[in-house]
Amino acid sequence: MTFIDLLMLGLGEALTPANLSFCLLGALLGTLIGVLPGIGPTATIAVLLPITFYLPPLAGIIMLAGIYYGAQYGGSTTAVLVNLPGEASAVVTTLDGYQMAQQGRAGAALAVAALGSFFAGTVATFAIALAGPSLSRFALSFGPAEYVSLMVFGLLAATILASGPVLKAVGMILVGLLLGMVGTDAETGAERLTFGAIELFDGIDFIVIAIGLFGFSEIIANLERSGSAGVTLAPLTRLWPTREDFRRSWPAVLRGTGLGTLLGLLPGGGATLASFSAYSLEKKVSRHPEAFGTGVVEGVAAPEAANNAAAQSSFIPLLTLGIPSNNMMAMMLSAFMIHGITPGPTVLTNQPEIFWGLVASMWIGNLLLVIINLPMIGIWVKLLTVPYRLLYPAILLFCCIGVYSMNNRIFDVVLAAGFGLLGYAFRKARCEPGPLLLGFVLGPLLEANLRRAMLITQGDPGIFVERPISLVMLVATVILLALMILPSFRRSREEAFQEEEA
Amino acid sequence: MPAPGIARGNRPDLFSALLFAGLGTLGLILGRGLEAGHLAQMGPGFLPRVVSVLLIGVGLAVGLPALRRPAQAIDQVRLRPVAVITLSIVVFAYVATHLGFVLASLWLILAGSLADPGGRWRQILPLAVGLTAASALLFVYGLGVQIPLWPF
Repeated sequence: MTFIDLLMLGLGEALTPANLSFCLLGALLGTLIGVLPGIGPTATIAVLLPITFYLPPLAGIIMLAGIYYGAQYGGSTTAVLVNLPGEASAVVTTLDGYQMAQQGRAGAALAVAALGSFFAGTVATFAIALAGPSLSRFALSFGPAEYVSLMVFGLLAATILASGPVLKAVGMILVGLLLGMVGTDAETGAERLTFGAIELFDGIDFIVIAIGLFGFSEIIANLERSGSAGVTLAPLTRLWPTREDFRRSWPAVLRGTGLGTLLGLLPGGGATLASFSAYSLEKKVSRHPEAFGTGVVEGVAAPEAANNAAAQSSFIPLLTLGIPSNNMMAMMLSAFMIHGITPGPTVLTNQPEIFWGLVASMWIGNLLLVIINLPMIGIWVKLLTVPYRLLYPAILLFCCIGVYSMNNRIFDVVLAAGFGLLGYAFRKARCEPGPLLLGFVLGPLLEANLRRAMLITQGDPGIFVERPISLVMLVATVILLALMILPSFRRSREEAFQEEEA
Repeated sequence: MPAPGIARGNRPDLFSALLFAGLGTLGLILGRGLEAGHLAQMGPGFLPRVVSVLLIGVGLAVGLPALRRPAQAIDQVRLRPVAVITLSIVVFAYVATHLGFVLASLWLILAGSLADPGGRWRQILPLAVGLTAASALLFVYGLGVQIPLWPF
């Protein structure tokens, strides 16, 4: 089949009334949680994962993907209008977006953000469509040794590119790996680390950990941060940007899209890193870097394009190699697994309708988001006035139902409460929970492939350096480690994340 | 050279070192009966042991330098949200098993609301009733989640 045929196949799948409505539903939900501070896409998808079990595979995955990229759009609305990032990747948008709103140009900022995001989403969707097939063919030649090296590289790169101290992130990955080993060993049937509890023989469910860490402990943390002052809305004026805005923002959107698409591919990349990097890039190429932070349109256009491009392109490693690159993709991986689909190179050959349907739905979803966001902005703004004390009991209930409905087991709810406490403890220790989830998801894959590789060579670890692809990944891993030890690299990484803290 | 007497120790880092080393030790204790096997034929205990030892190592690597760093306190713990949220979830689980979803859900929302002292009953009561009814309709009838609604 030619490229066009495949795209048509995808469009045909994505445009069925059912799939189209789930795409719309996902985009709406994503915008909603992007707008509402206090609940992120990770927790939302964790809650909805068990429910997608009742849907056909493609519909469920389309909806969850819509939530993820929809949240990138919604997050910018609050960033501009109330100086509150609804989502981590919208933090930099507050810098110039809110200033523009203060100058009475909120409409222009929102329109530039939405149009820039749409452009970036379109480009990234095409990048998936173009890169997917060739990367999949490449990945089909992978043996267990290549997968082990790829995962080691991925896990390490994910910690280094993420913010926060590297050593703590490595610790969190290890905790995740250890949690992934709880349950019955797949090869020997031995029962591991279960405290003898029958409920743990099948291992801990991904949903339990995700809701505990990202749902319950987030609610507790939000409640602790009391005194969240009432929101003051910036006035919303005419929506259409001026000709000058367009002239200044299109090169920024192009740069943001390119950078975002590339960073989304990297393990640990994802939307947040992309938006921060795009902002600093704009500052570097600008002739007036000192004007940033006072309401320049490039400061909105570039990060908004970049976070959306990255949100989309981070699907590439998952869909082609079967390796999630950040915790959102770890969620998507388990969404696929629920439906009995193992993402990776074989999906493209065996179930092309899933891959192409998802790709096509992403483009349609981006189009829907422009419609949802621009004309309907007034409705979303009203939602901002719902106080958190009325919001969190609902989130609490949905989290409990979500965990329960996974296995119809109340034990899971109690276990999730325990992970809520653990997550709270890690927050107090200033450890980010993201890498834990990644380690938990990749752990079993890593172990199975490592055992297989060692079985093939009868215990000779030389296989990892004899096979060229594996060797390249290991060399890349060593280079990354060496970079971390270099003081100058460490300093510039710390500087890069300083802006994030501010 | 800092003057003697100035407090040392980065508490958040020390706390995370404690968490890592503690979980690593727990992994070693729980996995002590598992067969390690050897490289060519790894037993179920091989990786748990490797990961646990690495975790203890990371704990030490985070903790030891933190002892010498300038003092930094852990953010204040406010017991009310931690205790109220955790307790309301655990009791929800118990009530849902024995008394059904409706009572459990009402409990969860009413008790959970106590985590925020600013709550007003005039808003929270209708919220509890409305959310319970809506979730019963959506999840139990609509999506067929297997959970009894009533105690009888």
